[in-house]
This record gives sequence, structure tokens and C-alpha cells, in this order.
Amino acid sequence: MEESLIQIKNAAVSLILEAEDLKTLDEIKLQFLGRSGKLSLAIKDIGKLPKEQRPEIGQLANEVKKVIEETLAQKISNIKYQISNIKKKEIDATAPGIKPNIGHLHPMSQVLYEVVDVFKSLGFKAADGPEIETDYYNFEVLNIPKDHPARDTQQTLYLDTRNSKVTPGEVILRTQTSSMQGRVMKKVKPPLRIIVPGKNFRYEQVDSSHGFEFWQVEGFLVDKNVRLTDLFGTIDYILRQLMGQSIKIKFATTNFPFVEPGVDTYIECTVCKGQGCSFCKMSGWSEIMPAGMIHPNVLKAVRYNPQEVGGFAFAIGLSRLVTLRYQMDDLRLLTNPDLRILEQF
Amino acid sequence: MLAPLSWLKEYLDITLSPKELGERLTEVGLGTEKITKIDNDVIFEFEITPNRPDLLSIIGIAREIAAIEGKKVKYPGVNVTHPRGVIGSLKPKKILPLKIKTNATINPRFTGIIIDNVIVKESPSWLKDKLNLIGQRPINNIVDITNYVMLELGNPIHAFDYHKVKDHLMTVEQAKGGESFKSVDGISYHLPKGAVIISDSETIIDLCGIKGGFNSATFKDTKTIFIRVPVENPILIRQTSQALGLRSNASSIFERGVNAGGTIDALKKCVDLIFEIAGGEIASEIYDLKKEAFEPWKLNLRLSRLKHILGIEIPEKKILSILSNLNLLPQVSYPSFPRKRESSPRLDRGSTKSGMTESTIECTIPTYRNDLKIEEDLIEELARIYGYNNFPKTLPVGQIPMQKIPYFKDYRIDEKIKNILTSSGFSEVYTYSLISEKDIESVGIQPEKTLRIDNPTSREFEYLRPTLKPNLIKALLQNVPNNEKISLFELGKVYKGENLDEAKENYCLSGISNNKNYFEVKGIIERLYEDLGTKENPSMCIEIINEGVFFKLNYSKILSKINLQKKFTPLPKYPPIIEDLAIVAKPNIKTVELMDEIKKQNSLIVDVSLLDQFEETRTFHIIYQHRERNLTTDEVAQIREKILKSLKQKFGARLKV
Repeated sequence: MEESLIQIKNAAVSLILEAEDLKTLDEIKLQFLGRSGKLSLAIKDIGKLPKEQRPEIGQLANEVKKVIEETLAQKISNIKYQISNIKKKEIDATAPGIKPNIGHLHPMSQVLYEVVDVFKSLGFKAADGPEIETDYYNFEVLNIPKDHPARDTQQTLYLDTRNSKVTPGEVILRTQTSSMQGRVMKKVKPPLRIIVPGKNFRYEQVDSSHGFEFWQVEGFLVDKNVRLTDLFGTIDYILRQLMGQSIKIKFATTNFPFVEPGVDTYIECTVCKGQGCSFCKMSGWSEIMPAGMIHPNVLKAVRYNPQEVGGFAFAIGLSRLVTLRYQMDDLRLLTNPDLRILEQF
Repeated sequence: MLAPLSWLKEYLDITLSPKELGERLTEVGLGTEKITKIDNDVIFEFEITPNRPDLLSIIGIAREIAAIEGKKVKYPGVNVTHPRGVIGSLKPKKILPLKIKTNATINPRFTGIIIDNVIVKESPSWLKDKLNLIGQRPINNIVDITNYVMLELGNPIHAFDYHKVKDHLMTVEQAKGGESFKSVDGISYHLPKGAVIISDSETIIDLCGIKGGFNSATFKDTKTIFIRVPVENPILIRQTSQALGLRSNASSIFERGVNAGGTIDALKKCVDLIFEIAGGEIASEIYDLKKEAFEPWKLNLRLSRLKHILGIEIPEKKILSILSNLNLLPQVSYPSFPRKRESSPRLDRGSTKSGMTESTIECTIPTYRNDLKIEEDLIEELARIYGYNNFPKTLPVGQIPMQKIPYFKDYRIDEKIKNILTSSGFSEVYTYSLISEKDIESVGIQPEKTLRIDNPTSREFEYLRPTLKPNLIKALLQNVPNNEKISLFELGKVYKGENLDEAKENYCLSGISNNKNYFEVKGIIERLYEDLGTKENPSMCIEIINEGVFFKLNYSKILSKINLQKKFTPLPKYPPIIEDLAIVAKPNIKTVELMDEIKKQNSLIVDVSLLDQFEETRTFHIIYQHRERNLTTDEVAQIREKILKSLKQKFGARLKV
């Protein structure tokens, strides 16, 4: 008996506290204190108890009733106060709402996560590797021996070797996320579909379309039967997913020692809509995604047999993709922490 | 590389308009950077890829245009029967002495000839105009002719004043390092070790493949010249050029690999022009010192391999016409006998000559195309001239790989963390990994114990950041003039270790805020940990600094501890009993100690939190709950009793009355 009274009290109090309007409170009152309410019925049952127990239980029942009534009264007055408060002021509904204080995800992250998702739909998994890299993985394994003129296109930042056993020139800041090709391929066998988003570094003077730090998303696919048309199709699919179906894409031949044939991908400049501007060097096109079929020398260097497997590789200029997506005319905007920029995204 | 349309037209008729030509050349790999109209001409500016030394010449570009237009180049003619001598064979009437010592390892080919009785003067205007058009300053007729022939044919040429070569001795050798050398334009250099040079009996007269020497140069008083058309070692030229930071048209060609079979033609063309413009007569046989023949080589292309890699079938007729327009002299061979079943189906490339089992095209590669070395190179030739934009597009057909990959990164976790921070009011920034010495010192770190770049682009970007703090402080301060409430975060790499042997890069998650107090920031991080299924006390990660509240979390460490495997706990069927206890305790007693003490008194206490704090009174919100039954007030009273007793004993704390 005692227990059921306490249960009634707890149930009533929690319901009352949760109620949000007067109508609900009326219902709760009826449910517990009404003539056939739970408490009223319990009190009637006291008569059935042995005589000696009745005074104690009766007192408890009274206390429970008092608690419920008080809680109810308090809640009713609260709600009435709130209602009158709002009514009193006669709100101007045209005034702006109060916005929650929510921060902004950087546009680079927004695009990056989209890129990762789009590639996931083609079965690509993401890998992440070191920025402090060896000359071997950054260049040599990629068919760019020392003193190869292709190194001119990727001027390198070298780490200071003071107080260490490292040979000067051997450890660098990676100039391309392609450095992960060798690292991954040496550890696993085909078939492979990998993307590698990450930051790269080059000894380069900064201007509106170049930075000494920039982001790329490297990708490579190795399998038994990989064709140049697959590379064209994959690039086309990815770029249209990211930049819209209607973008203009064109391919051109280029030379990177780690691919053969070598492909460069351009999309029509979104800043000037192909008219020519400083961002696209007046060409109307922006280089966005160098690519190609993986060179047999690279496959040999990771101990794959180029007569049995082949593949393609590409690198999306992520920083450039972001600026083109949002029609930003300067790469440096991406590293500018001004909230007036960040809050636009 | 600049190329005037008028000059290109000397070798072939061009049908395409300049704009179409530029677009088509870009598609085939000759990146057209700029097309400028001047007077009656058009100047193309090309970007030449490192594999194509041949495109650093007008004739090379003309050949490329011929390949896309399906035409043949008219090669520049040489007057083989010139009145001053038979240039075809170059038979001298007299011979002047010259001794040449060279070594094929450092100088693979040394072609040259002596010409006597030349008159050095200003070049005729047609020659000066042509050089000016492509940005080459005219000097005198001899120098201009050597430049002109290099630009036309792609073989660098140098003219020495024969009489200034002491004892008529030329020795090709490598510098010991530190020797002084004055170039033809009067600039002095200290030569790096290994630089290929030519010395006479006294001094250095040429920095091979890069620049000629002042002391043996052709000036007004020069009467006799020695013309040298060399093949230099690409690696040695590149090393010297890099070490000196000195580049020339010649070094760009040599480091890519000059047309080794083209020295004699270039020499003849040069002599022909000298006779025409500067007069003179040959005074030596042709010197041609070499160890190799430098002849065209054969390269095979299997049609099946072509189709396998390209994914399309180009008609054989089209294949042959493309290869033939590229001067690769294609010869098709079909299987000479019916295909047999082979025990080993794998074929080595190049083994197709005898016992051939599939259709193969044998190409003869001209010496100017030293980028064509393997079968895939020929496949690219076909693909690019066929036109990349004419290919259909397909998606890869193989199975999606299921295996685990090394270096895997789950970007969903980054996204989750960043979403919690942004919904808590923090905006994300990306800052540079490279920072200045001042930045490092500003946060009390010693630059000598920080990883450093040997060749920074500027002092501003010299060190690898060991923390995100200076960048975030700067980012906050930058925003102060325009914003009152600033909360920023970055998830980026930091680089640890005092030297390269200890170098380690970790992801770090840091933030800064000038509008949230310590406990708000702490609460956000606590929430972050909860959502990631880990429990850590973040007190050590947060500090109050002048600019606001700063936090840093070792992201790599968080990653190792997170548990995103969520499991549902059924809701309790019985209501809790909730009470607030106002406890009076000395301020030096830590809240966390009081809370832990309360919590450990009974397992029925499911949650303790701090509700309020005023002077010496801290009010704790305590939730008691039993999962299987209702709690009685008596039970709770007993637990409460125990709590108060224990707090009194341990901390001298009491219940506020």
C-alpha cells in the first residue's frame, strides 16, 4: 500500500513537471485527484486495511495528495505567467529570429568530404600518409630519378638535417600526394582503388593561383584490365558529380614521368565563364586534374608485373577545385582565417 | 619557347587558324600558353614538357603541326655545291692544326670544323629580325648564325675564336671545383665540381652545354673560327646548371637530351649560312669524335596491347597513317604461321620478331625522338594524335576491392568531430604548416629544437609548426577589428621532434575562443569525448591565455581510443529520485573530488552534477535510480546519510541548513 502511494506521487509529479500547457494539467488533475482518479481510489482502499495500519497510511495518503496539489498549482501559475508575459508584449512577428550561434565548416572540408563520398561510390578507399617524405617515395619510385628535368616542375623544400643522421637532400616535404603510390602499392596487391587527400609543399612564389602549400587528392586504380577510356570516364564522372553536370571538360596530352600515356584535365574557368581572367591566365580553362596510365617503370618498382596488371592515376587540385566551385578568384582566400570569408560557407 | 607563324610556314602549309592550331597543339601535348598577333605575324608561346627536347626547335614544332595536319615537313635545304667548297662532303683546301682531347662519358659526341677568313660584322636584317621576333638579342653575324641554327634545328652550337685557343689544344674535362670562369657575357662564376669544361693549354675556355667563355669568344677582330656542335651528358649539364643557378637555351636542350644524330646536319647548315653571311672557307675536315653510332632505333607495338591499354580499336589504316605522319616509318607484320597453343601464354615484349604470334608494328625512331623508348610511348603517340577528346568514356569494369588498405583514414570521424565543434559555435580555419621563427618564440618554443626547412621561400615560412597555437592566436587577432565573438578551430598536422631523426607528424585538434569561458570550452570537449565513446578529463588540454581560452587535443591519440560502436540501453522502467544537496566546503577542495566521493558511496547513484556554486556552497544535483524496482525514501535517506558522513570525514564539508 505504502509503495503504491509513493508510486502514484512520483508518477504524478513527473507528469506535471513535463506538461507544457494548461489542458494537459487539467487532464493530469482528473487522472489522479478526480473522483475516480488513482489517488482517490487508493484512499478508498485504506478502509480495507487492518485498523492499526490505517492512521499511518492515511497520513501518508494526505501528504501525497498535498504534494500533488502543490506541484500542480505551482506549474499552473508558471504556465499562466509565461502566457501572460507573451500576450502582454504583443510580439512583432516580423522581427528577426534569434539565430543559434553555430560555426562554419571550412569550404575545403566541405568539398573534401564530398570528394571522399563520390569516390566511395566508385569503391575507392581513403588513405593518409606523411608530409615529411623521402626523396625515394616522392620522386624515385615514380620514375623521376635524381637530376631528371621533370624535377624542375616540382621545386622542392628540403628539411634541415642538423643534428641528425639524415643525408642532406634525402628528406623533403612532399611535393605531391603521388608519393603514396609507392607506399601503398609496396604493401598490398591489386586490385586497388585508393584516394589520398593531403597537403603538398613546393618552393614556389605565391600568387592568386599558386601557393607553396596546397591540397591535392591523389587517386590510383590498379587491376587486370584497366583502359585509358576508364580514366577518361572516371574523371568525367567525378568532376560532374562535384562541379555539376553542365561543366565543360577537355583533355590534353602532357608528360609526367610516372604515367604513360599522360593526361591533363581542364575545366572551363568558373570565375570568368571561359572568357579569360587572371585566375585562368586568360585561357578560359583551368587545369584541374593531371592524370595518366601508370608507367610500367612504377609498376616494376613496386614489384607488379606490367604485362599482367595496369592502372591509372590522377591528382585533383583540391585547393583549385574549391576556389573554382565557389568562384573565388584567389587561392590565398582558403588560408585566410577572416570570419567574413568563413561565414559565407 | 616562342615560335612565329611565318617561320613555321617555311616548312609546311598550315591550314588551321592560329586559335584552332593552339587548341589542337595543346591537346597533343604542346601546351599553348599564349597567341599574340603582331604586324603580319602571329607569335605562339609554348610550354615544353621535360621529355621533348625536339620541341625546343622550330623544325620540331613544325613536325608536330605536320603530324596533326597529316602533312610532311620540307626540311631546310643546304647548298651542297656552294661555290666556296663542296659542303656536302666538306673537303678543305687547307688544314689548320687543332688537337682535341675528349672522353665519351662526359662528352658523348664532339662534332666540329674550322673556318678561316670570316668577316665578323652585324647580321643582315632578315636574320636580326628573326632573332628579335623570338626574343634572342642579335650580337654579331657568327654568334647570330649559331643561335639561329640552334633555334631552327635544336642542336646547340658554339663558335670559338680559333686563334685565341692557346696552342690549338682543346681538352674536354671536368672541373675540380672552385675554378673561376668568365662567360662570354662578362660574368664570372666559380665552377662546381664535375662541371664539364673545355681547357686550352692555359685556361678554361668553355663551360660546355651552358655558356661559352669570354676569352675564346668571337668578336669583331676574329678571323678564324672553330664551330663545335656537341652532344653533352644530360645529368652533368643539369647538375652544373642547378649548382650555378644558370640556365641557357642550350642547357635546357642538353638536360632533356639533344638530338644526338643531328650534329652533322646542324654543322652543315651553320657552315652554309656562314659562307653566305660571313664568307670564309673551311680549314679542317669535320671532326666527329664519338663512341656510338647515334642511329635510329627500332620499337615494336603489338596491336593487341594497343587496344588493351586504350580501350578502343583504332583502324589499322589510321594507326599507320598517324605513325607515318610522325616519321616513325611503321612496318606491319602479321603472324607468320597459324597461331599455336603455347604452354606459356605470356610473351615478352620485343620477342615478336621471330616466331611471332600476333600482329605487330615495327617503328623506326628518329634520333630526335629520344622520348620514345618503350611500347607505351608509342601507344601515347597514337592516342594523342588520334585525339584524347575523341575517345569514348567508360567506367572501370573490375571488382570493387574489399581488402584492408594500409594508411587507411576514416574521414567520417573528422567530419563528426568538426560537426560537434561547429555546432558549438567554432568556425574552422586552415592555416599554413610553415611558420616563422618569431611565431615559434611567441609561444615559448626554442627554434633550434624545431624542424626547419633548409631552403625556405622566405623567413616567414621557415619552420614546421610544432603546435597550432601561434596560427590560431594570429587568426583570432586578425578577426578582432571586425568581430566581437570569435571562436576558431583547426584540425591539422603538427611536426614534433628536435631533429629529423626524431621527426614525427601528428594530427592535432586545437581551438581558440574569446567569447566562451573555460567551462564552456571544457564542456564542449567533454561532449566531444562522449560522442566519440571515450572518457577523458580535458582539464590538461585547456589553458586561459591573454587572447581567450585555447585548447589542444592530440587527435592521433583520440583516434586510438574512440569507440563508435554504439549499443542501446533500455530506458529505466522505474522513476528516479532526484535531490539537490547544498554542500558547504572550503574553496581549496576540488569539485571533482567532492563529486567522485559522492558518486562512490552507492551504485544506486547514477549521476552527480554541479548545479550551482555560490561562495562556499556548492549545490550538487544527484539522481538515484534502481533499474528493477522503485526506490524508497528510506533507502535514499540512508545513502544521503552516508554521503554527508563521508564528505565530513574526508573534507570537513557539511550540508547547508
